[in-house]
Amino acid sequence: MRIFEHIHIDWLGKRKLFYTISISLFLIGWTTVFVRGLKFGIDFKGGTEIVLEFQKPVDVSSLRNYMGNIGLGNVELKTFGGSNRVLVRTELQELPRSFFPKVIDNINTSINKITPGLQSKVADTTATSVTYQFANTDTTNLIVSALFSEGYQTGKVSEEPNNTQMIVRVGIADWLKENLKSKLGDNSFSVLKEDHVGPKVGNELKTNAVLAIFISLIGILTYLAFRFRFIFALGAVVALFHDVLITIGLYAALYGIIPGLNLEIDLTVVAAFLTLIGYSVADTVIVFDRVRENLKIHKTMDLEELINQSVNRTMSRTILTAGTVLMAITVLLIFGGEVLRAFSFTLFFGTITGTYSSIFVASALVLEYANRTHKKVQF
Amino acid sequence: MKELRFRLILIIGAIALSLYLLYPTYVNYQTTKKINIILEKKSAVLKAADSKISNDAVEDKLKSIEDSIKASDPSIAKDKSKSLKLGLDLQGGMRVVLEVNTSKLLEKLAKSPDESFKDALAQSEKEAAISNTSVVDLVADKLKAKGIRLSRYYGNIREDDSKIISDLKKSAEDAVARAMEIIRNRVDQYGVSEPSIQREGTRRIIVELPGVAREEEAKQLLQGTALLEFKIVKEPEYTISVMKKIDDVLAGNVSLDSTETDTSQTSKTTAEKDTSQNNKQLSAEDFAKKHPFFSVALLNQKSRTADAYVRTDDRDKLKLWLAMPEVQKVIPDNCQFILSAKPFGYQNGQAIYVLYCVNKNPELTGGVVTNALANISPETSAPIVNMEMNAEGATEWARITGANINKRIAIVLDGVVYSAPKVEGKIPGGHSQISGSTDLKEAQLLAIVLKAGALPAPVDIIEERTIGPSLGQDSISDGFKSTLIGFIVVSAFMIIYYQRAGTIAACSLIFTILFILGCLAGFNATLTLPGIAGIILTIGMAVDANVLIYERIREEMETGKTIKASVDSGFSKAYSAIIDSNITTFITGIILYQFGTGPVQSFALTLMIGLGASLFSALVIAKVVFDYMVQKGIKISIG
Repeated sequence: MRIFEHIHIDWLGKRKLFYTISISLFLIGWTTVFVRGLKFGIDFKGGTEIVLEFQKPVDVSSLRNYMGNIGLGNVELKTFGGSNRVLVRTELQELPRSFFPKVIDNINTSINKITPGLQSKVADTTATSVTYQFANTDTTNLIVSALFSEGYQTGKVSEEPNNTQMIVRVGIADWLKENLKSKLGDNSFSVLKEDHVGPKVGNELKTNAVLAIFISLIGILTYLAFRFRFIFALGAVVALFHDVLITIGLYAALYGIIPGLNLEIDLTVVAAFLTLIGYSVADTVIVFDRVRENLKIHKTMDLEELINQSVNRTMSRTILTAGTVLMAITVLLIFGGEVLRAFSFTLFFGTITGTYSSIFVASALVLEYANRTHKKVQF
Repeated sequence: MKELRFRLILIIGAIALSLYLLYPTYVNYQTTKKINIILEKKSAVLKAADSKISNDAVEDKLKSIEDSIKASDPSIAKDKSKSLKLGLDLQGGMRVVLEVNTSKLLEKLAKSPDESFKDALAQSEKEAAISNTSVVDLVADKLKAKGIRLSRYYGNIREDDSKIISDLKKSAEDAVARAMEIIRNRVDQYGVSEPSIQREGTRRIIVELPGVAREEEAKQLLQGTALLEFKIVKEPEYTISVMKKIDDVLAGNVSLDSTETDTSQTSKTTAEKDTSQNNKQLSAEDFAKKHPFFSVALLNQKSRTADAYVRTDDRDKLKLWLAMPEVQKVIPDNCQFILSAKPFGYQNGQAIYVLYCVNKNPELTGGVVTNALANISPETSAPIVNMEMNAEGATEWARITGANINKRIAIVLDGVVYSAPKVEGKIPGGHSQISGSTDLKEAQLLAIVLKAGALPAPVDIIEERTIGPSLGQDSISDGFKSTLIGFIVVSAFMIIYYQRAGTIAACSLIFTILFILGCLAGFNATLTLPGIAGIILTIGMAVDANVLIYERIREEMETGKTIKASVDSGFSKAYSAIIDSNITTFITGIILYQFGTGPVQSFALTLMIGLGASLFSALVIAKVVFDYMVQKGIKISIG
C-alpha cells in the first residue's frame, strides 16, 4: 500500500495561502487569550480541589447552586468522568477569617457533646488552625482523641506530659466536605483525589514551566544550528513557536466548547507542550534532512524547486510518522481516562499543527530568508 | 555471519536482562495476589464471626495479619524493593510539601514581644506569603524603619543586627532539620512502605507516603511536635531474666503462630524428637525453634550490657511478638523494650538495630532542654554534644544523675532510642556533655533530637496531593487498556501498510516495550500515569524509525537496486534523519526531567528510555532480521 507517491505539487508557490491560514488561526486563538484569558488549573493558580465519588449519581447543577451560596465565593463544580464523580474546586487557600466563629461554634458543640458543660478557651487562631486551652492534661487528651474520631483533625500542641492545649486544623477542603455532607446526607461519598496548592508554589511552577519551554527551544536551536545551517535551525524554531502559540491559542478558544473536556493548563499540559516541541521538530528534521541531501547532490538546482521536490518526496513518511503517533494519542484520548484528557488533547492538537508547520511553514521560512538575503544556501 | 552472531548475542542479552530485571515485579505481583486472597478469606471469616464488627476493626485485624505474613518471609520485602515501583497516582497515597513557619518560630524565640513587634511580624507574614524574601529579613527591615534594634527581642544587647539576623536564619534552618528528623522517625514507625522524605531548598520538606489510606492519621504524623524522654536502662541481669521469660512463652507459642507460609513443618517434628542435644550443638534452625526470641534478638556473651541485636528483617517480627498479650503478661509493669532509631551497624548487608530494656516511666522529658550543640571535644578530639537545661530541669537532672552513676540513660524520641550514654557522675548545673557518637554527623543528629522535645518546629502544609486507591486502580486499568489498544492499532497499521516488513516492526515494538519496563525496573524508577502515557506515546513514535527506513528502502528499490543493496542503503541513508529527530525529542526530555516534579519526571524518563529502546529495536533488531532474510533468500515484502 502506498500514499502520496510521486506527487509533484508546488507547495512553496502556495505559501501565501499557508501564511494566511497560520495567521488567522493565531489571531483567533490569541484574541480569545486576551479577551477571556488562559484557564489555569490549581497547579499554577493555587487553590483547593477535591474529587469525590458518590454512591448515587448527583445532580451537579443544583449542587452547584447550593455550593455557590455557602459564602465561599466562586466554588466550581464539574462532573469528573461519570455522573457520580464530582470535582469541587475553589481558588481559596484557606478558610476566610469570617468563617472562624462558625467553625469554633461547631467544635464547641462537639466538645459539649463529649463532656457537657466543659470550660474551654480558644487560646490562638492561625489561618489554618484553632488552638484550645483546657484545664488539665486528662481532659485535653480525652477531647483530642474524641474529636479526632469524629473526623476533626486534632492534635496536641506539645507531646510533653503536662500539655493542656489542643490544636484543631481547619482546612478549606474539610469545610467543603462538611457542607456537602450536610446537603446530601443520604448519598455518602469517598474522596478520590484531594489537591491543595499554595500561591507561592503555583507561582514557582509557572516560572519553571515558562523557563523550561524557553530552554528547550534554545537547546533545539543550538543542536540544529550545529547539525544544519543556522538558517535551518531558525526556520525550525520559528515553526516551533508557531506550533506552541497556535496550540495555546486554540486551547484557549476551545475551552468550555467541547462538553466533558476540561481544558485547563496544569503541569501535565505543560509536559505535553514540551513533548510537542521535541516531537514537532522531528518532523521538520525529516524534511530538512532531505533538503540537505539534495543540496549536496543538485548543486545548481533552484532552491524553491529543490525544496518542493524534497517536501514531495518526504510527504508520505511525514504523514505516516505523524499518523502513527496520532493513532497512539487518539487511543490515549479515548481510553486514557479523565486524568490524562487535557494532556492527550494537547498532544493530539499539537501533533497536527506540528506536522502542518513542518511541511508548509519551516521550509517556506528558509526559502523566504534565502530570497530576501540573496544568499546561496549550501552544505 | 560472524557479525550477525555478535548482534544476535547483543539482542538476546538485552532481552534476557530486561526479563531478569522484571522478574521480581512478576513475583511481587503474584505474592500480592496470594496475600489478598488470604486477607479476603480472613475478612469474610471475621465478619461472619461478629456481625457487628466495625470496618475499622476489620481493617486493623487484616493489617496485622498482612504484617505477620510479610514479616515471616523476608524475601517478600526483597522482591518488592526490586520490583517496578508505582507512583502515588497509581497506587494511591499522599504527597505533602511542608514549609517551616518562620514567623511562628520568630514569635516563639522572641523575648518579651510587644505590640510594635507583633505588628511588624504580622505585616511581614503577609508580605512573605507572596514574595520570596525571608520573613527574618522583612521583620528586621520593619523594625529598623521603626528605629528599634533587634537586640531588644533576640540575642544579647552587645550583638548587632546582622549577627542576630544570621543567628535567626540559622535557627530557622535548624527547625527544618528538626522537623525532618521528627517526621522521618514517625513515618518509619508508622510502617509506611517506601516513604520518601526530602529536603527542598532551605525551608521545605517533601514527604511522599505511598498507599496511605488514612489521610487524617498520616497528617498527624507530619506535625512538628515530638516527645523526648530520658529513661533509665535496666540492669543486664534483670533484662536477661525478662528476656528468658519471653523466650519461654514464645517457644511454646510459635507453632500456633505459624501461618500458611511456614514450610518447615517436617523439620519441626524432627527437632522435637531430639531433646538430648545441648544448646551449643543445636543447628541454627533448631535453635530458632527452641529459642525464638534469642534467635531474633542476639545477645553478645562478652558484653557487659544486655543490649540485644536485631536484624532489619526481624524487626517487624519482634515488634509483633512483643505486642502479643501472652508476652505482655510476662514483662514487668515498670519495664519496656524499645529499639534504636538508627542501625547500630551492618552485617552481611543487613542493618543491625539494638533492643533496649528501659524503665517505663521517664525520669525527665525534653521540655527542660534549652539548647544542644554538637562539637569536637578539644581534649579528646572526639565528637560530643553539649546539652543545657533550664533551672528546673537542672535540679532534677542533678538528682537523677547522682542516683544513677554508672547506669545508662536512654534518650528516647517518640518511642525509639537515639542514644544511651552512661552516667559518669552527678551533673549539677544542667550542663551535660554526651560523648560516644562515632562521628560529627551522628553528634549533630543527637543535638537535633535533644532539641526536638523543647522547640517544636512549626510547619505549614503548602502543597498537598492525595490520591485515593480507587482512582489509582482506575488509572492503572485505563493505562493498561490504552497501552494494549495503542499497540494493537499501531501494529495493525504497520502490518497492513508494510506487510512482512511491517510485521517485523510490530514484533520489535514488543521488545521496545519490554526494554522500557526492564530499564524502569533496573533504574529503580517509578512508573506514574504520565509515565504510562509516555509508553503509549513511544509506541506511536517507535515505528517512526521503521517508517523512515522502509520508505527509504522503497525509494532505493525503485532505482533498480537489488534487495540487499536497497536494504543496506535504505538503513544507512535513513540514519541521519532518525538520529537528528530523536535527539531533538531527547533534548526536551532532559529539560522536562530537570524542571518537572514527580509524575512529569516519570513521563520524561519513560520518553527518553523509550527513544533509546525504539532506536535499538529499529536499528539493531529489525536490521538483524532483514540481514538474515536477505542471507537466506527469504522474500522481503515492504508493501
